[in-house]
Amino acid sequence: MGRPLLERLARTALVLLGASLLLFALTLAIPGNPAQVLLGPRATPEAISAFTHAMGLDQPLPVRLGRFLGHLLSGDLGTDVVSGRPVRDMVLEVLPATLLLAAAAIGLAVALGVPLGCYAATHPGGVIDQALAIVSVSVIAVPSFVVALLLLLVFSAGLHWLPVIGGGASGLLLPALSLALGWIGYIARLLRASLLEVLGADHVRTLDAYGVPRRRIVLRFALRLAAVPVLAVLGVGIGRLLGGAVLVEIVFARPGLGTLVFDAIGNRDYPVVQGSVLVVVVMFTLANLAVDLLLLRLDPRAT
Amino acid sequence: MHLRRRTLLGFGAAALACGRARAEPQALMLAIARDIQGALDPTTRLSSLEANILRAVCPGLIAFRPGSFAWQPMLANSIHLESPTAIAFELRPELTFQEGFGPLTAEDVKFSFERFRTPGPDGKLPTYAADWAALDHVEVSGPQTGRILLKWPAPMLWTTVLPDASGCIVSRRALEQGAYRTDRQPVRVIGAGPYRFASWLPNRAVVLEANPDWPSEKPAFPRLVLRPVRDTRTAELALGANEIQFAGIDPQDLAAVGKSPSTRAEKHDSINMVWLGMNVAAKPLDDIRVRQAIRAAIDVEEVIEGGWGGTVSRANAAIAPGLLGYWPDAPARPRDLAAAKRLLGQANAGSLRLRLTLLNEPAYQNAAAVIQAELAEAAIQLDLDVRDAGAFWSAGSDEALQLALQRFGGKADPAFNLQWFTAAEIGEWNWQRWRDPAFDLLLHEAASIDDDAVRARLTIEAQSRMDAAAAFVWLTHEVHAYAYRDWLRPAVCPNGDDMSLDLFARA
Repeated sequence: MGRPLLERLARTALVLLGASLLLFALTLAIPGNPAQVLLGPRATPEAISAFTHAMGLDQPLPVRLGRFLGHLLSGDLGTDVVSGRPVRDMVLEVLPATLLLAAAAIGLAVALGVPLGCYAATHPGGVIDQALAIVSVSVIAVPSFVVALLLLLVFSAGLHWLPVIGGGASGLLLPALSLALGWIGYIARLLRASLLEVLGADHVRTLDAYGVPRRRIVLRFALRLAAVPVLAVLGVGIGRLLGGAVLVEIVFARPGLGTLVFDAIGNRDYPVVQGSVLVVVVMFTLANLAVDLLLLRLDPRAT
Repeated sequence: MHLRRRTLLGFGAAALACGRARAEPQALMLAIARDIQGALDPTTRLSSLEANILRAVCPGLIAFRPGSFAWQPMLANSIHLESPTAIAFELRPELTFQEGFGPLTAEDVKFSFERFRTPGPDGKLPTYAADWAALDHVEVSGPQTGRILLKWPAPMLWTTVLPDASGCIVSRRALEQGAYRTDRQPVRVIGAGPYRFASWLPNRAVVLEANPDWPSEKPAFPRLVLRPVRDTRTAELALGANEIQFAGIDPQDLAAVGKSPSTRAEKHDSINMVWLGMNVAAKPLDDIRVRQAIRAAIDVEEVIEGGWGGTVSRANAAIAPGLLGYWPDAPARPRDLAAAKRLLGQANAGSLRLRLTLLNEPAYQNAAAVIQAELAEAAIQLDLDVRDAGAFWSAGSDEALQLALQRFGGKADPAFNLQWFTAAEIGEWNWQRWRDPAFDLLLHEAASIDDDAVRARLTIEAQSRMDAAAAFVWLTHEVHAYAYRDWLRPAVCPNGDDMSLDLFARA
């Protein structure tokens, strides 16, 4: 496993470097003078000049790039233009909330999607299997913020079961469900198809012939193999999930990276946008690395 | 443990009881559209949110009366105009700064006001320096007494400065120890007002608690929680669920929100300014006939119907009805497509292609779409340049800017509202780059005279000069709408942005 592991680590490092370069290019893409845009229309020429110098915007491009990458390596994400606070502190303040939301959404999707997928695969053509096919297709296509608003209307405004903007576990349930709902059906459908294929394999039929209980075959042997494509899709899906979290955080008035980026874009606060997006990219890349390593462990042939 | 039906019912009843208990809030929760940004410092505050907090924690000599721009004494025992350029004040004797920063004296008043005219380390005057442009100095005559001496009479001080955040009294010692800044945690805001700044958890909540040392009537609520809720629909739902008790709402949702039990929803005409501005320094808009043609081609009623769905009234000039200097006879020009085509012909501008810069918000986008369609009928092709707030608000420095849909928040004083259109503001807030020395002079006179009748006449004259320039198509003064629980009596100023948080009371 040593060589594949090294390969994946190297690939991860390359992806992170590429993402950093793209984010650096973002400051070059700001139309006009970035210092003027950042400081706003009331900035004096002296303030613009001081800011340009402090940010190193008067340096040659390679020097700026080197400085940018150097700061990143030391964990310095820059300074918030509006409040003057370090972006790293701002990101670290809200990161746990976003991680919790993402983890809860993935946990919910897996906790509901896997049993449904197993049931549908072991009872093909049954009522649940058919219902799953219809519901999952219709829910997958709906954006998570629309799901969020519908859930709010039904469970908070209509039934008063859950808070609209509350914190704690009850306040986490609806946002997590909004993100997870599409994935529950997706995971279930994917697992069903994969499981049906595995259950038709020779070694499974042999186990059947030996009288191993069906439940044990599915949970102990088949699920491990069938989970491989689901995991691969889940790895890529984490990016979509983090993207959806931005709007869900706004709809449920939750703190998080999403609201941080939302406010920063409105305030032309590019250091915060840059820092937050970089952290999201790192999270996404590391999640994919973890999925890759897990796949390697589940199926050593996947080198 | 054996779970039986009766046990489960018991748990259910307990949960229901908890739910009911939650219906009686321990603190007054208010939705705010965004989180605190920038400093909580009166001289550099960013917007009305920070100003509202500052006025509750470190108020000034006078304050707004509930729901109005009229004033009442706050930290001042007495305050009066001694002469056109001298305001004498006496502080209440028993006032102390919170967190042990000592008694509040006339020296603190002097420090708080004069720092508006003191350049920072970068040589730059504070953001709100213009509010105190008339200030010469503050003369301290005793621990609690002093005089605010002015370079010229400044009636605006009584409506938009002294009772607002530029009149807030801060503690010099606290400021030197890093208070009023938001780049350090915990954030400290030290004042002598009815509330103390308890905490700020970024993106979660701002908490104010009643100041136990406040010597006058205690605020009605021991604790205020300001919760950022960026989505208006979410705020409306949270209000219906009694998770918050006050929120700004979309005027178009007024009827629906008002139907919720125990909820009241109100809509009031505002005093803000929304208009289509034309850059008179950019070709072909430097030709007044082209500007007049654009004005004639636009049906303002249709534009505001498209943008604001019939919830707002039409504006014909900058100053809103009810304010000093309102121009009741301002021309309400009906659409005249024939005149527009004729004027374009005279200007040899047969087929034009122009760019309209606007905010990425539904109302402005819809209004812009109507303008685009109307100008197309006059053979003017309009490209829409839709920008997010950050990029939009820096557009004024672009000399090539052509048309812009703009909105400025209004205050009680006409001189404050019109100051953005002077030549000094070109490149900053005067995006029309319109330069009229006579207008500047009228405005300066109107800002320096105590006679309201004369001020009104001068302000109307200034607006008529704006009208003659044809660089502005006034659209609306907007409305503001908010909703609250029926046991609450909010204290919102007529512009809808300024609130007296300490005066929110039980109905």
